[in-house]
Amino acid sequence: MAKILIIDDDPDIVESMRIILESCRHKVKVAKNGAEGLKEAKAAKYDLIILDVMMETMSTGFEVARGLRESRENKTVPILMLTAIKESTGLDFNSEVGDKDWLPVNAYLEKPLKPNELLVKVEALLKGDAPKGK
Amino acid sequence: MREQQDGLAESLYWLIRLRWFAVGGVVLTTLFADKVLGLGLDYGKLYSLAAALCAYNFLFLLYLNRVRASDRPDLPVITNRLANSQIPLDLLSLAALLHFSGGPENPFAYYFFFHMIIASILLSRRASYLQAAFASVLFLLVSGLEYSGQWRHYCINGPGFCFLGEGSLPLLGSSAAFVSTLFIAVYMASSVSLKLRQKEATLRQANLQLKEKDKIKSNYVLRVSHDVKEHLAAIQACLDPVLHGLTGPLAPGQEDLLRRSYARTEKLLVFVKALLEITRLKLSKKIETGPFSLLKTAENAVRLVEERAGEKKIKLAWSVAPGVDIINGAQIYIEETIANFLANSIKYTPEGGSVELAITDEGEKVRIRVTDTGMGVPGDDLPHLFEEFFRARNARATERNGTGLGLSIAKEVAEKHKGSIWVESQEGKGASFYLILPKNAD
Repeated sequence: MAKILIIDDDPDIVESMRIILESCRHKVKVAKNGAEGLKEAKAAKYDLIILDVMMETMSTGFEVARGLRESRENKTVPILMLTAIKESTGLDFNSEVGDKDWLPVNAYLEKPLKPNELLVKVEALLKGDAPKGK
Repeated sequence: MREQQDGLAESLYWLIRLRWFAVGGVVLTTLFADKVLGLGLDYGKLYSLAAALCAYNFLFLLYLNRVRASDRPDLPVITNRLANSQIPLDLLSLAALLHFSGGPENPFAYYFFFHMIIASILLSRRASYLQAAFASVLFLLVSGLEYSGQWRHYCINGPGFCFLGEGSLPLLGSSAAFVSTLFIAVYMASSVSLKLRQKEATLRQANLQLKEKDKIKSNYVLRVSHDVKEHLAAIQACLDPVLHGLTGPLAPGQEDLLRRSYARTEKLLVFVKALLEITRLKLSKKIETGPFSLLKTAENAVRLVEERAGEKKIKLAWSVAPGVDIINGAQIYIEETIANFLANSIKYTPEGGSVELAITDEGEKVRIRVTDTGMGVPGDDLPHLFEEFFRARNARATERNGTGLGLSIAKEVAEKHKGSIWVESQEGKGASFYLILPKNAD
């Protein structure tokens, strides 16, 4: 059982993830936007943060990720980023994941999410042996 | 503007080609006059003039090639100047030829009109009239000086040619007819070319507007499909946990309907994704490229479709020629295109058939070919196969699912790499899809 923070502005996607994660007895907290997410991550300690890359703007997710890393509490917490970036730009994130300045996250998942993929990735990150990228 | 100037450069090449013919014509006519007719002219001078014509044509050709290759920003000015200077030079050469072969008595004096027509095509109307004036001055000068005896008159030794000694009237008559014909020729030819130029400008404008409209449409499609996709993704995300039993067990009827809903959103999602991809590709001027291993890419593409081929008991073979590996390009799109070819072939090949991927080295390029033993493409449908939303008649009949976008995406990928793509097929006899890519696409 782990404490997981979801930062995503789509209530339907959040609800679906909450049900999936809670089915594995994880405790889930939800933040509806980037600012709220940053505040929440400082207020309490989480085992994992799931972060949507595209919220208010295209780059919100990136800013939040860097903001999280700047705070002392969240220097090392595993971050799982949700993107549709490969599809929308043709960019592959594999090589950039973990880049401290550009994309300081531990792994990413392409949307639309599949429950099994999400769970496998979450368990791996919680165990601390996250494979790089997808 | 750029196209227009390229057009002028093309016309200059045309003029240079014409001049080679002129040189040949002069030499042959002189030979004929000398050996067959025996007109007793100063042939040495005529051959020298042909040689001079040949020499400056060669220089123009060299200069034009060099200017074009250097891609100078003032290319339009240079080609224009070149056009304006070549024609007077031709007129001078023709006047000199005329002078040494009978002056106004030479029936070939009418060749001046060809220059007027060329001028009207290449130059502005005003410049064409100036050329006509220059041609008139040259003609009158040669005639006048020869008539008055200030220049030597090279008489043509043939019956009926010499009218210069018979008083001023024949000369005045032929001069008046000559000069007026020059101007009338310019008037007529430039009227036609003016109209053509205007029409061309209108067409170019219309084409530009169409392109602009197409861009607006694509942006619109991009927005709409993006929004649709987001909602579809959310619908799937909500259906997923229910179908996986995370919200409690489902009655068989409930599960069946939910599965159907899920399958339909999946199809719609595939379609919207393809639509997004083709639209985005069309809107982007360039795609990100870099060095990558074509060998690995081919392997990845094969892995993606292997399972499906196995299910249909289709023999799937692939080969990459030795030496073909790292090339420059957009790896993701190339992998997708190869996988797309393969998936198509597997889809439309009956059980027990075979599908083969072969990548060969073509020097500066690589050739990617996928051949199958499937149903083939009907002849009528072949030219449309790479059009958006198009699906071949027999493909629609056997397989309901298909966006009609896969091959148009492939075509866009080929174009963005400055490569080429095509299909060879006969209905019922399988098909071969080809993609040629430069090894160093930028």
